[in-house]
Amino acid sequence: MRDKRTLYLVILLPFFLYPALFFLIGKVGQSQAGKMQQEKVTVLIDPALEQTPVPGLIGSDPSFVVKVQAFDSQALTEEKNTIGIRVDGNYAAGLAANESVILRITGDFSKDLLDGRKQSITGLLNKLNQSLLEERLQGVKLPPTFAQPLLIQEEDLAKPSQRIGKVLGTYAPMLLMLFIFTGCIYIAIDITAGEKERRTLQTLFTTPVNVREIIAGKFLAVACVGLASALMNLFSLVFAVLLQAKIMGGNVSAISLAVSAQGWVWMITLIVLSTVFLAALSMAVSLLANSYKESQSYVSPLMMLVLIPAVMAQMPGMELTMTTALVPVLNICLAIGAIFKGTFSLPAMVLVVFFALLYGLLALYLASHIFGNENVVTGEKVNWKLLRGRG
Amino acid sequence: MPASIEARNLGKRFGEVHAVQEVSFEVHPGEIVGLLGPNGAGKTTTLRMLAGLLAPTAGEAFINQHSVQKEPLVARRALGFLTGDMDLYRRLTPVELLTYFGQLYEVPRPELRRRIDELVEAFGIGDFKDKHCEKLSTGQKQRVSIARTLVHDPAVVVLDEPTTGLDIMASEFILQFIRRMARENGKAVIFSTHHLDEVERLCDRVVIIHKGRLQHHGDIDSALAATNQARLADAFFEMVQF
Ligand SMILES: Nc1ncnc2c1ncn2[C@@H]1O[C@H](COP(=O)(O)OP(=O)(O)OP(=O)(O)O)[C@@H](O)[C@H]1O
Ligand SMILES: [Mg+2]
Repeated sequence: MRDKRTLYLVILLPFFLYPALFFLIGKVGQSQAGKMQQEKVTVLIDPALEQTPVPGLIGSDPSFVVKVQAFDSQALTEEKNTIGIRVDGNYAAGLAANESVILRITGDFSKDLLDGRKQSITGLLNKLNQSLLEERLQGVKLPPTFAQPLLIQEEDLAKPSQRIGKVLGTYAPMLLMLFIFTGCIYIAIDITAGEKERRTLQTLFTTPVNVREIIAGKFLAVACVGLASALMNLFSLVFAVLLQAKIMGGNVSAISLAVSAQGWVWMITLIVLSTVFLAALSMAVSLLANSYKESQSYVSPLMMLVLIPAVMAQMPGMELTMTTALVPVLNICLAIGAIFKGTFSLPAMVLVVFFALLYGLLALYLASHIFGNENVVTGEKVNWKLLRGRG
Repeated sequence: MPASIEARNLGKRFGEVHAVQEVSFEVHPGEIVGLLGPNGAGKTTTLRMLAGLLAPTAGEAFINQHSVQKEPLVARRALGFLTGDMDLYRRLTPVELLTYFGQLYEVPRPELRRRIDELVEAFGIGDFKDKHCEKLSTGQKQRVSIARTLVHDPAVVVLDEPTTGLDIMASEFILQFIRRMARENGKAVIFSTHHLDEVERLCDRVVIIHKGRLQHHGDIDSALAATNQARLADAFFEMVQF
């Protein structure tokens, strides 16, 4: 608590992080896209296609430099930014015989630039294909619709709020877990392993303060920072997503989250409960360490343990069921996701809250059990044998 | 007079290690008792059991007739405890630190303020009372630490090697203070040490342990008589020689 830096890191950073991050990604993406547009690509066209509309068609796009010349496919990969087009058989004869003329686009399409250009070439050639088709149909006196018995159109009834809800529902739970965890763990380390290392813990235990009170005090400190971190992140994230939607040209007045007041209450409840769980877990684990250094080495594995279920919750088709409601972290992530998407049901929420509470209390019990260990009291290495013996 | 500190058949086992076995002694108000023993004898372990930091695996400890195990909070209220592996909060000044611990002991505010003024005066903390504890010298820290053990005016004071690492002046200062606490304020004091001269000068009685077992409990003369030696050092060597 005496370390202000940690507080800034945990609370103020996220407030600016998301808008900044979104902005940055947007900018970089834009400039990358701009670069891709400007770069010239050479298109070698087989002389067999010289008398066809192909060279003119490709040449109509200013980002292509068209050269009619024979080329070797293997040699093509050695050339910089080069794509080749050739024809199988005779173009004119094939068309005249109402056959399909095969055009081959060759190049190293593992390169992003060439892969992108291949698509524009395909687009151009498709247009040509379309007009050739119409010519053929006209030749046999059929309307252009002849070749398209069904015209399929889609109509997305999702409101912008639902689309945003889907994005937030997918990614926000994991980010929330991540930030609750990082908020908790560093404070937890500071006031457990850190105090052991600074040798100030033992003194506290000689005062007439109940061990329970000491644990409660420390737990509250950890949980408060974790919670503050989580809430700051939640608001910042929602704000950033709305801002981004506005920049992307959405109708801002129509864009509001489809989260009801009841939904927010459930969400805050779930966030509080997951904070209880993660704060207690952080404390239990960092109590096992004797020094900052040692506890640092516990952070990554623990983080994985928290993040794996959180990432699992993002997988398509993952839903709240009796089974998934049993898995810590996963259940809360799915529930928060459902709230954002506006698809939560009351019984499911009650179930998740029940289990989240259960796990939170279990973690708290574990933490206080470890805290009561003599070796923690005297600032020494926690002895597993003794720990079990006293269980 | 009832004993202020009583160790009754105290024993402590760490797994297979018997750190302390069947150790019994008493300390009365106004008395200073020295706890002697070679490294690893079990001194710190014994004192920690008196403070309730470790639960004895055998026997029981009493502070002011209150069982440390059964009524830990009452017992601790009457106890000031310091071992060498306790440190001060680095970011607090001595006065902040004393205030914080005074509050933990629930000393009433006006009394706490008076008490802290007294301690700052008695321990010469005034010169550095606004510095962060991390910036203090070893001797200054030790003075603050001992002041901390006394902030709630305990009837019983338990110190584990209070003079280790200090120069002669600083040690002398602390020893004088221990003497005053016992003689003038009637506190019961037990402290462990490796300096036999401190014991000879200060202590009414000595407790000598070796390999976790009590070797001697009584005044210095009886220790000399028991071993037929003229000096405490020789008596000590004889008792811990096996
Ligand atoms: N937490 C512990 N776990 C296991 N063994 C311990 C623990 N604490 C102490 N011991 C063992 O108990 C014995 C007594 O240790 P203790 O610290 O009481 O000795 P001491 O008399 O204070 O020694 P010193 O003069 O070196 O301070 C030693 O053998 C020590 O290794
Ligand atoms: Mg010791």
